[in-house]
Amino acid sequence: MTFRDLLPLLPLMLPALTAVAILLLLAFHRSHRLTAWLAAGGLAAALLLIPFACEGAPRRFGALLVVDGCALFYTGIIMAAALAVAAFSYGYLARRRGHVEEFYVLLLLATTGGAVLTASSHFATFFLGLEVLTVALYTLIAYERGAFGIEAGVKYLVLAAVSTAALLFGVALIYAELGTMEFSKIASLLDAGAPVSLLMPAGVALILVGVGFKLALTPFHLWAPDVYQGAPAPTAAFLSTVSKGAVFAAAMRYLVPLDLPSHRSLWLAVAALAVVSMLAGNLLALRQGNIRRVLAYSSIAHMGYLAAMLLTGSPLATAAAMFYLLAYFVTSLGAWGVIAALSEKEGDAERIEDYRGLAGRHPWLAGALTLMLLSLAGMPLTAGFISKFFLLTAGVEGRLWAPMAALLLGSAIGIFYYVRIIAMLFAPQEDAPPVRATHWAAGAAIGALVLLLIALGVYPAPVLAIIQSLIAASS
Amino acid sequence: MATLWPLAVYLGATLAIVAGIVTLSYLLGERHEGKARGEPYESGILQTTSARLRVSAKFYLVAMFFVIFDVETAFVLAWAVSFRATGWAGYAAAMIFIGILLVALVYLWRAGALDWGTSPNRKRSCNETGKQNGST
Amino acid sequence: MNVPFQHALALAAALFAIGLTGVLMRRNIVFVLMSVEIMLNAAGLAFVAAGARWGQPDGQVMFLFILTMAAAEVSVGLALVLQFYHRFKTLATDAAGKMRG
Repeated sequence: MTFRDLLPLLPLMLPALTAVAILLLLAFHRSHRLTAWLAAGGLAAALLLIPFACEGAPRRFGALLVVDGCALFYTGIIMAAALAVAAFSYGYLARRRGHVEEFYVLLLLATTGGAVLTASSHFATFFLGLEVLTVALYTLIAYERGAFGIEAGVKYLVLAAVSTAALLFGVALIYAELGTMEFSKIASLLDAGAPVSLLMPAGVALILVGVGFKLALTPFHLWAPDVYQGAPAPTAAFLSTVSKGAVFAAAMRYLVPLDLPSHRSLWLAVAALAVVSMLAGNLLALRQGNIRRVLAYSSIAHMGYLAAMLLTGSPLATAAAMFYLLAYFVTSLGAWGVIAALSEKEGDAERIEDYRGLAGRHPWLAGALTLMLLSLAGMPLTAGFISKFFLLTAGVEGRLWAPMAALLLGSAIGIFYYVRIIAMLFAPQEDAPPVRATHWAAGAAIGALVLLLIALGVYPAPVLAIIQSLIAASS
Repeated sequence: MATLWPLAVYLGATLAIVAGIVTLSYLLGERHEGKARGEPYESGILQTTSARLRVSAKFYLVAMFFVIFDVETAFVLAWAVSFRATGWAGYAAAMIFIGILLVALVYLWRAGALDWGTSPNRKRSCNETGKQNGST
Repeated sequence: MNVPFQHALALAAALFAIGLTGVLMRRNIVFVLMSVEIMLNAAGLAFVAAGARWGQPDGQVMFLFILTMAAAEVSVGLALVLQFYHRFKTLATDAAGKMRG
């Protein structure tokens, strides 16, 4: 195996290598600054390698991994998101006591897991990627060891383990039925009309439970608000973007070759999950007084919108989903970045009340948060609007009338709670508490996200062209 | 089903013997009421405290390390079985695996997780973590 | 003696159901973790049975992965349980209910 053969795999391997290197460094020398730089360097190097890796793509590594354009696209946005999370973490963790360096090791490991997920073409790699991501997340969630953090960590651990067990049992049933765990072989066996017994639908249902949990689709969303509230803000940013995006990418890779519309009951199950998530996420968000919980429910709704794109499997829907995921990454990261920058200690900057008059105290952060919320609501000139527009186009083309109606209804409900927060930001307030400066790394990351948000909203053509060429090259 | 009847006979014989011993000792055995009758060790030393004592959290740590490093041997053994079949690629993969394990071990060692005694070093780090836990 | 595939699968399904019941009914975190372990091992057993059905080693390989992942999970879980006890002075899951929106 030469270097050229290995090149497409390097973006996946670099974060893992960096994690091991940092672990070795930590054994002898503890320095928050050096660790953060190393982690950021590893992620940035992986990000820079992706264009070069694209030249070698698509490339299969045995039955286990396939590094194609789509996988590299998802890996790219995952690395970029992890970089942003690392930037938020530096300022956030610098205000904390105790050992903070291991946070970056875990972050890198979770990122590796996510990247492996996007490139998996076999249930073994799917499982391994998912677990590397999840087990690292357990610790990231409980990192602050406060009462809420521990509670969130234990809840996530138990529920994630149960969902993993369900997923594994489902995979085992499918394997028992078809004798293979490769996504493409499963799809071709089913297309060829392989005789299936009751094991197959049971297995698929269990897998849907597992994936639905990871994407926090209703009714498997119960963990999300508590975990988002209890976890450190950078972890929550990671959880709502990288963790969900990677699982969605893997679900896409698994379900698109399956040609979902031809499997009626499965199609109905996914459609029901999507529609219920859109409505329940938006409706439940209305009642929340905690901004973290609002964002948790909002992300449930967004995953519902995305899941609707699994229903057609057309190239247009795939492109729309990829663009939507990118826009969602940018906005969600931005919103969590502002929360992280404002969190002094555990339980800070949580209640929507805490944000009263932020525009006067901290105009830049308030402006960024406003933009992010507008984008989440799908207002024109932001990435959120364009991406939702593409989703609708793809949905109408795929004749997904009910999901698209739910999308419109959900978005309309969503405007209420986003605007409520924005109104709070600009509400007048006397005796404002003093403001502390945001760390430059977090500030730079938020600034870059704001620019990206507007760029995607105003002039999305170049990104779309890239996505379409990637899909054309992959299929 | 034909192969199962020896098992049934065995089960029946076991139950019969156990029941017989218990019944016989109930019928034939002596009975008397003594002061120390209720003690677990009638002629031994008296028990001092309940057997459910608090175990130091360090034991959990040891158990965790055992579980983790024990599972790794499963992979190494699987590689050993297929050593000839996997060739140099397998050798390289196994070396990477063991190398990462070594890094983790070095990290644990330097972090003081392997000092199970009460060396001065360990005591210090214990106090430190105690302080951290107390203050967070 | 050759165990039929259906029997092994039925055993795995029963174990899975027992584990799930344990997770839902138990109030002590350690027992919840144990129930989760049972569920994971049920999935592992199903993999081994499926592998045996097709005469492939893949099922056993998956079992190894599950074993490893369960070990990692239980160590993180126990560490969290220690912190949980430290914080709440109890192992009852009901203690952790502060975040109700």
